[in-house]
Amino acid sequence: MKTFAPLLHSYWYLFRGAGMTLLMASAAVVPATLLGVLLALVQVFGRRAARSAVLAYLFIMRGIPLLVLLTFVYYLLPLTGIDLPPFWGVVLVLAFYYAAFMSEAFRAGILSLPQAQWDAAKSLGMPRYLMLRIVIFPQALRLAAPPFISLCVNLVKATSLVSIVGLWELTMASREVVERTLAPFQIFLGAAFLYFCICYALALYGKYLERRALVGH
Amino acid sequence: MENTLNDALSLATDPPVVQQRPMLAMSGIAKWFGANQVLKGVSLTVAKGEAVVVIGPSGSGKTTLLRCINLLEDYEDGIVAVDGEPIGYFVDARGKRQRMGERDLAAAREHVGIVFQSYNLFPHMTVLQNIVAAPIRVRGIPRAKAEARARDLLAMVGLTDKEQAYPVRLSGGQQQRVAIARALAMDPKIMLFDEVTSALDPELVGEVLAAMQQLARDGMTMIVVTHEMSFARDVADRVVFMDGGLIVEEGKPEQMFTAPRTDRVRQFLKRYNDRYRL
Ligand SMILES: Nc1ncnc2c1ncn2[C@@H]1O[C@H](COP(=O)(O)OP(=O)(O)OP(=O)(O)O)[C@@H](O)[C@H]1O
Ligand SMILES: [Mg+2]
Repeated sequence: MKTFAPLLHSYWYLFRGAGMTLLMASAAVVPATLLGVLLALVQVFGRRAARSAVLAYLFIMRGIPLLVLLTFVYYLLPLTGIDLPPFWGVVLVLAFYYAAFMSEAFRAGILSLPQAQWDAAKSLGMPRYLMLRIVIFPQALRLAAPPFISLCVNLVKATSLVSIVGLWELTMASREVVERTLAPFQIFLGAAFLYFCICYALALYGKYLERRALVGH
Repeated sequence: MENTLNDALSLATDPPVVQQRPMLAMSGIAKWFGANQVLKGVSLTVAKGEAVVVIGPSGSGKTTLLRCINLLEDYEDGIVAVDGEPIGYFVDARGKRQRMGERDLAAAREHVGIVFQSYNLFPHMTVLQNIVAAPIRVRGIPRAKAEARARDLLAMVGLTDKEQAYPVRLSGGQQQRVAIARALAMDPKIMLFDEVTSALDPELVGEVLAAMQQLARDGMTMIVVTHEMSFARDVADRVVFMDGGLIVEEGKPEQMFTAPRTDRVRQFLKRYNDRYRL
């Protein structure tokens, strides 16, 4: 305990870092989800040209490491004259990046519904938007929930990369504290623990959703 | 049974029948799956209140024919009308065959109830929700009224106590009766049944057939694709035999089952009787 006790105030600092991590991840997950749903819809229902455009987008996003993308946008953005606070710049990069993966989860959810569900909805005279809203989406979203949650976990962990472009969050906070205290082991153990808590809570929530989905089926 | 042909002819000249426009009129339906033509110009007319049973060997196009009626399956030629209104395709002023817009198509489909072999209930909705969803959202019926009607229908199919159950908790026979109630809740002008008992355990077949028989007795216009020959014999006003994408023979059940006109029907019934020892 002797080795950890003097670091208590540093842990408090980490805690605030974790708060920032959570804030950044939450800010990114909302647009990522919306864009992910939109991309999935275009892929399933869109015209050929729109589908190709989305495919190209997914292909590019999947082929670039997030770290490279972050750095690239960090240097590129000022050149374009867009004056965006670094926090929001990073949030947008995370959102655009994860939307590509989320769209795959949603697309798979929609496509894994049997044709029979569409047939039943159509034969009851449901117009397309209604069919999607009350028959297809509720089922597709349940199917997509487990991969979606695991992407959220990934997103939380990916926020650790943003310290590379100078944003302050849990990982950055840890590095600062380590420089001061020269106790890397205790500090990064604390940071790891905080990351773990956030991700584990998400995973539990995912398990819960999964179990609920099974009840309906 | 010699006068069956006369019966058929009189059907076309009998004033009351002719003056009443048919509930369903399909003409010249042609359907290809790739290079394989599965419907070769099928025409079928069903009068109001008539129960038509369609029989025929596997792969003869019975399912496809039913699915074409409300355009669940697209087809390359022919048109369909329900109660005089086109559904799926219509012929425009210049005589060109046109596909309906999605909105009109959805509206037209309301009038055609279809029950599938695999029930196809919505698994995330309770029995009651399954039944009221379309009446409320599509037809705009107030919830209380839709639910009252749903309960009547559930009583009719003998499932009063199941309205809060999810489909997974029901037996196949119960699910199929819910599916029938769901289709009826839209007050369709015609009901289509595609082998609705063939996925059921034998002891559950009776309860579903009973519900359908009741429906026929109540005067519902219906087309029933089935392998249950006893149902055809007892309930059908007319039996239609399909083979190779064509209607090969049609007539009254007594005539079809006792004195079929074509060899194809004779063979089919013989094979059926050998199998089931009827
Ligand atoms: N989605 C499809 N793609 C290609 N071919 C199909 C498809 N659906 C049906 N067919 C073919 O169309 C023909 C008619 O099939 P259909 O299901 O209408 O027959 P059926 O009379 O209902 O047979 P069964 O008694 O086995 O249900 C068959 O040759 C079948 O192989
Ligand atoms: Mg069939």
